[in-house]
Amino acid sequence: MNSDEEDYVFFGTPIEREEDITTRKKKAVAEASGQLRTLPSWKQEVRDEEGRRRFHGAFTGGYSAGYYNTVGSKEGWTPQTFVSSRKSRAEVKQQSIFNFLDEDERSELEGQSLGTSSQFDTFGFTAAELARQQAEKEQQQRPSAIPGPVPDELVLPATESIGVKLLLKMGWRRGRSIKDSHANSVYDARREARKAFLAFSSDEAKAQVAHSESIQDDLEKYIEQPAGDNVLSSQGTLVHGLTPKQDLHGLGFDPYKNAPEFRERKRLRISGSRDPEYRKALSVKNSLFGLKSGKVAPGFGIGALEELDAEDEDVFASDYDFEETYVQEIDEPSTRLMVDTKRKLITNERGVLPGFRIASNADYLPERFDPPLVPKDFVPHHKFAGTLETDNKVPDTGPPEVSPPEDSNLKLLIDGVATLVARCGKLFEDLSREKNKSNPLFSFLLGGNGHDYYKRKLWDARQKQGDQKKHQLDGRVSSSTQKLTAESRGKILGERPLERSSNDAGPSVAVTSSNSVNLQYNLSDTFTTPASFSKLPEAVKPFKDDPAKQERFERFLKEKYQGGLRATQFAGDINMSEATRARERLDFEAAADAIEKGTLGKETNISTQRITDYLATGGMRFTPGGLEKAEDTHAEITKEIYPKRVEYQWRPSPILCKRFDLIDPHIGKPPPAPRMRSKMDTLIFTADSVKSKNIEETTAENRHSNGVPQSDVQEISKGVADKEIEYEVVVENVERPVDLYKAIFSDDSDEEEDTTPILNKVEHPEKKVEAANTALSRLMAGDFLESLGKELGLEVPPDPLYSTDKAGASISQKVDENSGDDKVLHFQANKLLMNTNATGDHMVSHDDKKVEIFDSTKSSRLLEIGSSKSKNDKVNPKKTSSSEGEKSRRHSRRHRNISDSDSDSASDHRSRHHSRSKRRKESSREKSRSSKKHSKHHGHRSKASPSRSHYGSEKERSESKKEKHKRKS
Amino acid sequence: MSSADLPTKEVNVLKGHEGAVLAARFNADGNYCLSCGKDRTIRLWNPHRGIHIKTYKSHGREVRDVHVTLDNSKLISCGGDRQVFYWDVATGRVIRKFRGHEGEVNAVKFNEYSSVVVSAGYDQSLRAWDCRSHSTEPIQIIDSFSDSVMSVCLTKTEIIGGSVDGTVRTFDIRIGREISDDLGQPVNCISMSNDGNCLLASCLDSKLRLLDRSSGELLQEYKGHTCKSYKLDCCLTNTDAHVTGGSEDGFIYFWDLVDASVVSSFRAHSSVVTSVSYHPKDSCMISASVDGTIRVWKT
Repeated sequence: MNSDEEDYVFFGTPIEREEDITTRKKKAVAEASGQLRTLPSWKQEVRDEEGRRRFHGAFTGGYSAGYYNTVGSKEGWTPQTFVSSRKSRAEVKQQSIFNFLDEDERSELEGQSLGTSSQFDTFGFTAAELARQQAEKEQQQRPSAIPGPVPDELVLPATESIGVKLLLKMGWRRGRSIKDSHANSVYDARREARKAFLAFSSDEAKAQVAHSESIQDDLEKYIEQPAGDNVLSSQGTLVHGLTPKQDLHGLGFDPYKNAPEFRERKRLRISGSRDPEYRKALSVKNSLFGLKSGKVAPGFGIGALEELDAEDEDVFASDYDFEETYVQEIDEPSTRLMVDTKRKLITNERGVLPGFRIASNADYLPERFDPPLVPKDFVPHHKFAGTLETDNKVPDTGPPEVSPPEDSNLKLLIDGVATLVARCGKLFEDLSREKNKSNPLFSFLLGGNGHDYYKRKLWDARQKQGDQKKHQLDGRVSSSTQKLTAESRGKILGERPLERSSNDAGPSVAVTSSNSVNLQYNLSDTFTTPASFSKLPEAVKPFKDDPAKQERFERFLKEKYQGGLRATQFAGDINMSEATRARERLDFEAAADAIEKGTLGKETNISTQRITDYLATGGMRFTPGGLEKAEDTHAEITKEIYPKRVEYQWRPSPILCKRFDLIDPHIGKPPPAPRMRSKMDTLIFTADSVKSKNIEETTAENRHSNGVPQSDVQEISKGVADKEIEYEVVVENVERPVDLYKAIFSDDSDEEEDTTPILNKVEHPEKKVEAANTALSRLMAGDFLESLGKELGLEVPPDPLYSTDKAGASISQKVDENSGDDKVLHFQANKLLMNTNATGDHMVSHDDKKVEIFDSTKSSRLLEIGSSKSKNDKVNPKKTSSSEGEKSRRHSRRHRNISDSDSDSASDHRSRHHSRSKRRKESSREKSRSSKKHSKHHGHRSKASPSRSHYGSEKERSESKKEKHKRKS
Repeated sequence: MSSADLPTKEVNVLKGHEGAVLAARFNADGNYCLSCGKDRTIRLWNPHRGIHIKTYKSHGREVRDVHVTLDNSKLISCGGDRQVFYWDVATGRVIRKFRGHEGEVNAVKFNEYSSVVVSAGYDQSLRAWDCRSHSTEPIQIIDSFSDSVMSVCLTKTEIIGGSVDGTVRTFDIRIGREISDDLGQPVNCISMSNDGNCLLASCLDSKLRLLDRSSGELLQEYKGHTCKSYKLDCCLTNTDAHVTGGSEDGFIYFWDLVDASVVSSFRAHSSVVTSVSYHPKDSCMISASVDGTIRVWKT
């Protein structure tokens, strides 16, 4: 096959036969020598050294076209400018016009380089130069008294430039400064002086450039000449010319016009840049970040539609630190000398803005404060000033019995407060007293109305509580324990004592951060059976990471469940603000709810987790510490759990196995079922039950038998052997999705016409194919049926098909016997139909059962065709018997039910049938491909192929037959 | 091998990459090394002499991983342009481009016979490509991952991929099974021990995890370095005595394999150390960094 050939890779060049080459060569030589002499060059053929023609088709241009046969040779014409962009994309050769010129043109061009004509010599330099040269020449020619060149001052330019001419016309006289002589020259003088001073300071008077010299001269002159002197020397004009313009600024633009200080700095930098070291550094930087840098043109080689999205952002970009690079200005290469100190300055100042330097002493010094010293004996766990617990020191003799106050409300209040105080400790009393100082209702706290009663009540409550506690705790908690340690709490809560870890330093409640994680984790599974301390199930500890809070929570719960007076202000921490208290209260409420739910679920261990989850997800906010710890514990748990190992079935492709030089573990096995499928998918893709398909078949047959002349049908029924018919029954697993979709979306009307004729032609040979396919499809169908049966809660006979071999012989008998076997029935029905068609009126009198089954499945179709059939006797009973299709199909109950036809199924069947008939045409085309694909497809798909072949044309069928045979073998 | 024999002395600095170097790999015999980076080039070096030998340019975007065959004749590389490039080492030309990944390709490896290339992509898949045929279609697509696959390792019979979904999946071709080890943390890089029994996985919670391959058991965790957002390589030393890996602060860490203690850590680069590769025989290591350099370390 083609694909197989593609897999081969050929190495090397094939060996050519010796004689072939030699003869060809000889021939070539002979021809070449002969040709060269005889034919004109444009008629000669260009051949290579082996005598093959070099040029073909449009390019057979004669001998001269190949540059006299130099093209393929070493000295042949090789392109000089073409550069393969594939290998070196970045290197583009600089092309100039000279690359395209030959020597003549080049020499011609070189003659006419542009130059300034002396006519436009603005300041007359060129002219002066020329004149001087001329003068020198002349002087050399004639002997002179003065040896050497004539000084500039003496020999003035012979020709006058246009500028000079203009100036002269404007009234300028030679030797005068151009600038306005009346301008305040005092200012000028000062400015120059300043400039000079700066220059001096930096250069230590060593600078000997013409520029500075001239400035000096100027300066001297200014100093010499009093201001207001009109007559200035001609040097005033010449000063400009002495500083060549080598920067890139516009003519006459002075970037430092208003800030001469920066001029100085720039000059320094330039001279600094002449320092070899610094220069090197600069050049390195340039090469790094210059044009060559790969950062330009992102996405080169990527399609235009691919945008740079967020992922493409340069995550590493920040790591380039461009430490301030100077743009190297091409400026006058001043010959000033560098002073060492200045150079040092520059190197130091690299990190600073240009023009600034780091101050040696900053005037702003941020004041620093030492952190407060933590006292050595400080324990990072808060102990409350008052006892949180109930004071167990209950005096034996309480205050005398006092009659309750008349006000029942007050009595209630006092009772409530007393129990609360008894439970929560003195602290609570203090607190509430403080809070309700002004509240007359609480005056009993301050010794007002009902104080005595309150005292008595409090004593009562305390005593009661103490008794209770003693009783319950069995005296385990010593009455003198003031602080609640983790151990004591654990005891109270019925926890198993922890195995002390190695670095568990102390038993203190202060769980250090390092081992808190462990502790927490251990806690979660060390709870033993809850002691009935309160109604709170001990396993449920949503705030177990915060002992204080947990205690508060328990208190809250107790109050909640025990009833009594709800604390007017929530019995929280004294340290807590109102807001946090409120929040905590909300938390507690939520937690209590969750616990209720949790206990209902009877999942004591899991419920803790769930509650915390519930709280966390429910938008409840724990104190930050608690939340973190919870996370920690979670992390701890994950650490314990992971890594998890799961195994799956995986199928390597055969070629992968081949390439890895391994044996395919799944060799010869059918392709695996897909690992995951949504329910929807399975619904859509499951093939229809065999029965319904069968019925479809029969309907099709029935239909055409109705539509076409009887003789045809007879022929068919005669021609088809019993066996074959029976095979047809077997599997009709058509791919449903297509059908379904088509049923919904396709247009029925146009298909109606073409189906019948095709059916007529095709039907007969189909059956043969079916016979061939049966063996294969039987297995799959069996499997499938079984699974379907399980799904529907039905029993499917193990292998029903082969019991029907003799079915044709006695139909009625069979039906009676195989009451549960749908297929057989269908088959029979099918057959029966054919028979009846052939025999005509015989049909109605036939066995009810068969007809009914036939109907139940087919009813829909029949209904639809009904109009055409209505004249026919046999249709009528069917119509009536069109019972609940599904039911009868599944349970194969053979009662004649007179009921309405299931319209849904009806339309479904019908449309499916139509779509099928449509596909018939397509399938013939697709057949070969589909059969190829076979192995790749999943189980139920492969089942589709036989049914397809069912409709295929003769040729294809025979092919598929072969294939099947092969497979069978 | 004691900790004194660890390669902590810088021998050479290989400069040439413009921009971050994303991976540096020794070849099979350790005489050469390959690097690739953000500048879209792959470079071949002699790390022992510090010479740059060749540059391979063709990638349209950054090159994320490179691997060379055992016989040094072919290269495979992948990167941000969603393609896998199959190169001829000598000529520097691309022999084939494997297209098909729907996202960036994070890692790529040859198999033992250099006949198959397996690439791991951002598109949550591993793809196997056939180098023998002219087909540029993948011969196998493994798409059981649920997030970007960051790294891939091949043994004679297995394909192992590490993914951001926290799993390390081993695909055993011989028995046709997929074994998924869920680490619970995004896996950055996986690396085999030289004896093939263990697997080192670098996770994004700044931990390296050593797994027993046969049982899937977590043998050890190595902590100390920072690895929170970059794909950082890790590997075992040639003797399997130590574990080494880069850190986002420019350090290189060495851990003792057994007791997970940090044996050595030193500042190797000025920026994130993206990749480390250990010489197959000698005590020599190369490290690549975002600072654009590759450094060669010896004892």
